[in-house]
Amino acid sequence: MADTPHPSSVDGGPYDGVTFPYIPADQLRIDPRLALHRDFTDKIDPITYEVVRHNLWNINEELGMTIQRISGSPVAMYAFDLNSSIFTEDGEFIYYGPYQLYMSGVSDVQVKWTLEHRSANPGIGDGDMFLSNDPWVGAAHQMDVTLLCPVFWEGKLFCWITNVLHQYDVGGITPGSFCPNARDTFDEGILIPPVKIIERGELRRDIEAVYLRASRKPYLVALDLRAQIAGNVTATRRIKALIERYGPDVVKGVMRKIIDTAESAFLQKMARLPDGTFRERSYVEVATVGDRGTYQVLLTMQKQGDRLVFDNAGTAPQVGAINTTYSGWRGSILTAINELLCWDQLYAIGGALRHIEFRPAIGAFTSATHPASVSTAPVQAMEISLYPAYNTLSKMLAGHPELKKDVMCIGGTSQFPLTCFRGIDQWGERFGYLLLDPMVGAIGAFSFRDGIGTGGQVRSPICRIGNVEHNEQSFPLLTLYRRENTDSGGAGTYRGGNSAITAFIPHGTAEMWHETESSGAAIPTAPGLFGGYPACTNAYDFRRDTDVLEWFRRRRIPDDIGELAGTEELLQLRQTDIRQGPADVYEVAFAAGASYGDPLERDPEKVRHDVETGDVSRAAARDLYRVVVVGDEDEPRVDAAATQALRHQAIVERLGREPAPELAARFPVVRHVTECLDLVEDGGQRRLACARCGRALCDARENYKAHTLRIDRPIQASNPLIGEPSRFIDAGVEFRQFHCPHCGGLVENEVCRAGDPLLWDIQLAVE
Amino acid sequence: MTDVLIGIDTGGTFTDCVVIDAAGRISTAKAPSTPADFSQGVLDSLGLAAERLGLDTRGLLARTARLALGTTVGTNALLQRRGARVGLITTRGHRDVIHIMRGARGVPGLDSALVLHFPESNKPDPPLVPKTLIAEVSERVDCKGDVVVELNEAEAEAAIARLVAKGVEAIAICFLWSFKHPEHERRVKAMAERLAPGLFVCCSVDLVPRWGEYERTAATAINAYLGPVTGRYMDRVGQRVREAGLATPVQVMQCGGGVVPSAQAAARAFLTLDSGPVAGVLASQFLGTVLGQKHVIATDMGGTSFDVGLVHDGAPVASYQSVVHQYEYFVPRIDIRSIGSGGGSIIWLEETSGSLRVGPVSAGAAPGPVCYGRGGTDPTVTDAAVVLGYLDPDYFLGGRLRLDREAAVRSLEPLAGRLGMSVVEAASGAGRVVEHQMADLIRKVTVQKGYDPRDFVVYAYGGAGPVHAAVYAKELGAQGVVVPLGGVCSLWSALGAASADLLHIHESVDIQANPFDPARVAAHFAEIEARGLAQLREDDVAPDAARITRSADMRYRGQINEVEVPVPGGPLDAAALDQVVADFHRRYETLYGAGAGFREARVEMVTMRVRTSAVSTKPALRPAAEEGPAPPSDARVGTRPVYWAELGDFESTPVYWGDKLRPGNVLAGPAIVQVPDTTIVVHPFQSARLDLYGNVLIELHSTPPVPGGARALPRGGR
Repeated sequence: MADTPHPSSVDGGPYDGVTFPYIPADQLRIDPRLALHRDFTDKIDPITYEVVRHNLWNINEELGMTIQRISGSPVAMYAFDLNSSIFTEDGEFIYYGPYQLYMSGVSDVQVKWTLEHRSANPGIGDGDMFLSNDPWVGAAHQMDVTLLCPVFWEGKLFCWITNVLHQYDVGGITPGSFCPNARDTFDEGILIPPVKIIERGELRRDIEAVYLRASRKPYLVALDLRAQIAGNVTATRRIKALIERYGPDVVKGVMRKIIDTAESAFLQKMARLPDGTFRERSYVEVATVGDRGTYQVLLTMQKQGDRLVFDNAGTAPQVGAINTTYSGWRGSILTAINELLCWDQLYAIGGALRHIEFRPAIGAFTSATHPASVSTAPVQAMEISLYPAYNTLSKMLAGHPELKKDVMCIGGTSQFPLTCFRGIDQWGERFGYLLLDPMVGAIGAFSFRDGIGTGGQVRSPICRIGNVEHNEQSFPLLTLYRRENTDSGGAGTYRGGNSAITAFIPHGTAEMWHETESSGAAIPTAPGLFGGYPACTNAYDFRRDTDVLEWFRRRRIPDDIGELAGTEELLQLRQTDIRQGPADVYEVAFAAGASYGDPLERDPEKVRHDVETGDVSRAAARDLYRVVVVGDEDEPRVDAAATQALRHQAIVERLGREPAPELAARFPVVRHVTECLDLVEDGGQRRLACARCGRALCDARENYKAHTLRIDRPIQASNPLIGEPSRFIDAGVEFRQFHCPHCGGLVENEVCRAGDPLLWDIQLAVE
Repeated sequence: MTDVLIGIDTGGTFTDCVVIDAAGRISTAKAPSTPADFSQGVLDSLGLAAERLGLDTRGLLARTARLALGTTVGTNALLQRRGARVGLITTRGHRDVIHIMRGARGVPGLDSALVLHFPESNKPDPPLVPKTLIAEVSERVDCKGDVVVELNEAEAEAAIARLVAKGVEAIAICFLWSFKHPEHERRVKAMAERLAPGLFVCCSVDLVPRWGEYERTAATAINAYLGPVTGRYMDRVGQRVREAGLATPVQVMQCGGGVVPSAQAAARAFLTLDSGPVAGVLASQFLGTVLGQKHVIATDMGGTSFDVGLVHDGAPVASYQSVVHQYEYFVPRIDIRSIGSGGGSIIWLEETSGSLRVGPVSAGAAPGPVCYGRGGTDPTVTDAAVVLGYLDPDYFLGGRLRLDREAAVRSLEPLAGRLGMSVVEAASGAGRVVEHQMADLIRKVTVQKGYDPRDFVVYAYGGAGPVHAAVYAKELGAQGVVVPLGGVCSLWSALGAASADLLHIHESVDIQANPFDPARVAAHFAEIEARGLAQLREDDVAPDAARITRSADMRYRGQINEVEVPVPGGPLDAAALDQVVADFHRRYETLYGAGAGFREARVEMVTMRVRTSAVSTKPALRPAAEEGPAPPSDARVGTRPVYWAELGDFESTPVYWGDKLRPGNVLAGPAIVQVPDTTIVVHPFQSARLDLYGNVLIELHSTPPVPGGARALPRGGR
């Protein structure tokens, strides 16, 4: 379906990718001189279909692997910061690579823009490739360079192959081209709308020179370009071999059937899911150096029949250096759609997209106009566009007995805490790079089991981090510790995966210089689902002039920065030119996985195990899970009676009285809405009822939250690792808990700024 | 006179024994494996082999110059989670290295569908080493090998005591940068041996002194997990064959592609993992040398997996990292890649697209394919092969298992019905799908290493390989198929063990950029060569019989890809090292494509490696005299109807006894050759020839082009 700007957009246009983002229409205006290969057959036997389908998946996978191997850069090899896609002749997704997912998500609009704007002049021909990194055309940010490759058969455009690879540096005021201090995009890397860099199989040296000229690392960028070219050449050759063998109509027929099949799979799911409107709210903190603001993100997803409509109206206006464009916002959401709804079709999202519409609120900071700063988009505005989408989709899936197995709470580093460092390394050479350790991530809880500690990034299923020994060889630092961070995952019936924490001192150098760039340090960006508690916030900890070297002399290594003497210094979320001397310890902890369900309902035996492994502290076991663990460190035991008493007391505290027992005669359930809410029939009226005790809360057309017992607590109460928000932002932060007024069961939580209105997160469409 | 070579391979189901005498005569025996005490299966297979030679076990072993053993004890212990309770000691601050797994969730080696769907994805559960059995010790070395924090012996003692109190049966020690400064690990190892005598203790620097703490820790932990069980097995089997009359030490197959005396095997137990498939590649290398085939794709298809290894330019292709149980670990070995496509792979219908899929779920050996009649209900690749007539229901595994063709047909009926196909078409389609999967794997293995599959000959062995090889080899454009040595092809790993050399691989890491200091490089090689030679001395190899080959893993500075480059023997000077750099540039571009080299960057040497080996006596294969193209009449079993996709129908197809064919015999396809334990399928327009050694060579290129997939489906039917 064609996307359209939301009515709340700022006035203006055209939507051509110059000042306003390019938003493709249903019908593309393609120069008639470009012949498209439209023929296909639908008479394909199931065996041929399977063989060709498997080949196409493999071709796309190999495209990514080829780039990774040839590039050989740490970004490609560890972070897998690349992706590959195959599209039909007119830009519909066939396969979406399994690497850095958002990168495929931003590729289809770039194909469509190229078809509309390059088919007449300079023309799109056999053997051409187009290079593109313009976020208003579609790229995520300037460093994500796309190489678009049309594949021709007998003079007709048959399909497209694209790949995206993150580059070390494409210019701008900060080495590495992430520019946390940019005033606008003119402070950032070079912008290149699609240009024909390969013409009839030949690399255009003039165009390449323009591309490389802005970079601080032109040799590496040139090498990566060759990797990208080689990937497309290999994939093109394999597609042509398929066409030769099976005929163009069969190959095209298989491509169409992959999309059609994925479409029917999507429609089957939609038919089983309730209509309604699902919302999630989140925030980005600190738009530029010295700022103490918070910037709201609102995601609304309407599900009506077989259609999904997403909009970001209500999101704060574009500001500072935290923005993304429409394509980045949309491409991020595609990641969540693929993982939760299209995984069984190997992320062939093209079929689903026939029924999904995006309505960007142009001018919001997640759909910014030129020349807003967008270089930090993937680690900030795009992450904050993505993660709420997991929750809107999960809230839609939660009531279905089978599909709720696909629910996944927020994980990853829902806002990436950047550590940019520079200086002279232990080999006497200048260095400047990012600490990639936060990629170690965490996976949020599922509806039936815990999330995965340090399980990586959901937005990049096969990424990884380097070893400590790799970091210490490349950079002049000594890692005091890098380990899983106790209590970092959200507490819940199913726990969010823990993330990691790392601390280091400079080593082999006199000093190093840092810049921070983060958000999600005051307000957690991984709220849980259905009573699950949020994961921890990002946290920098910095201590000057410690006695760590004295510890070393005494043959000791500290377990925690807090054990060291020294002066604590609060680092702000965007702070530049921080000097770290030889005894100054720098620590950074990463946001973790959110949780599913009320922690009071977690099996005490699991809590005991968590305490034994160090995943959960005894204090958190008592305060959040209300489980009493006794016994020494090596043999913790659950005190069952004390635990039962504590858990009961928690309910009584909520209610101020004894809870009501479960209703003897429950209302007939029309459908489950979440673990905690049922849609019930009460004398011809549809009502929302507590799933635990069965009592009705409100009319189904109302916001259930307004009819629950609400208790507001400071955000620090939600996770032991969350600190005082006023260190970074002016706004107060609340942890709102909504309980059944009858039985005291926790129905849902809300993480928000003090004074923000209640979020109507699940608004079912009922008569 | 001791002139007999024996190779034994213990698999999950059978223990295979190959005996070769000085005249090159090969006899074989298969005995059921005995997981409760694997040494029993070894003795049983020896007894059977002796019987076929008209001897008893004692008589056979008295004549035996060398007995080489491939073992699955380690693999089995991992599969069944019956390894040791392992305690792990790490540098303080880094206890979670083995759990963090570099944040990759242990996905390498998993099917992509599991990677894409997070709810099905998890880290190993339970983990190899639980968090509660990991202890941290203060000590620290930096990237230059300088000690930053001296080893805290009090903490080390406490750590050992704590682990011992928790009942560990083995201790693994891995400290950061230990390969730059091994003393801390070795001191803790000595302490553990003193404090807990009899406990299995190993440290990373003695196993894989490589750069990267996760993969090094994993290797060390896996080794500790397997060490005690492997040691017990080695003791037992050694004792039993000694008692039965073997005068020489048993040699144990290693995944590096050589053997070591059994006394050395337990200390490095992780090197026995996957040694069975590796032995198959060695056998292929050995036969390739005999046949003058330098480039071989060695393919082994059994019940549950399809394994591929390569021989290029006469040498097996190596890798230095592997995955087991989702753990990536350092290990120098012959590279084997696997997919879960075997005879047991289940054929199913993908509902939404209405397409036919095969695997990755397998019916395994139990319940196995439907036609086994052991309770399997899902149709498998083997069932399809029976339906198509490839397999003779009365002569499967040499007639030991009667197959139920009707049950196979019935199991495919619902699927075929919903696909709108006949059962035979569905069976034929399933064959095509699985053969394409195999071709894809081989493509990845060759192309990603910079090789062109068209330069290779495919060797096909294992129970199911020769059924499908002619198709996947053709798909790849390979030069031909060799089904080796008739009946031996289903005991191929046992032959590989019998042909293996003594081999020790030693490594040393010193990351340095060019121009290299020849003295520094030479010093490393001297040190690791001395270690290899010392081991060979322990093996009773005379110093002048030792063969030493050097290599180095190199990369462009700032890049990750490492490429192994040969380093010349003898003294090293600047010119020799310049040549090594030039070889690196060339090899890099072969692998990654012209222009891929980052020539502006300096070149780094990361790992230096030495293979110290002593050549073993090789089986002497003797060519027979050629007896002409016409097979003798007693070689012909008769005919049976076999379905050929190329013809779109069943055709009455001649069937031959493989062991009655004579050298020089030529069979025009279509034809079926039955050898004990496997079946060779020769398609229409292909031909097969028996060579002078008893190999069946399938000629692929006499074929007119197979009609493309676009053609309407032929009308088949049974």
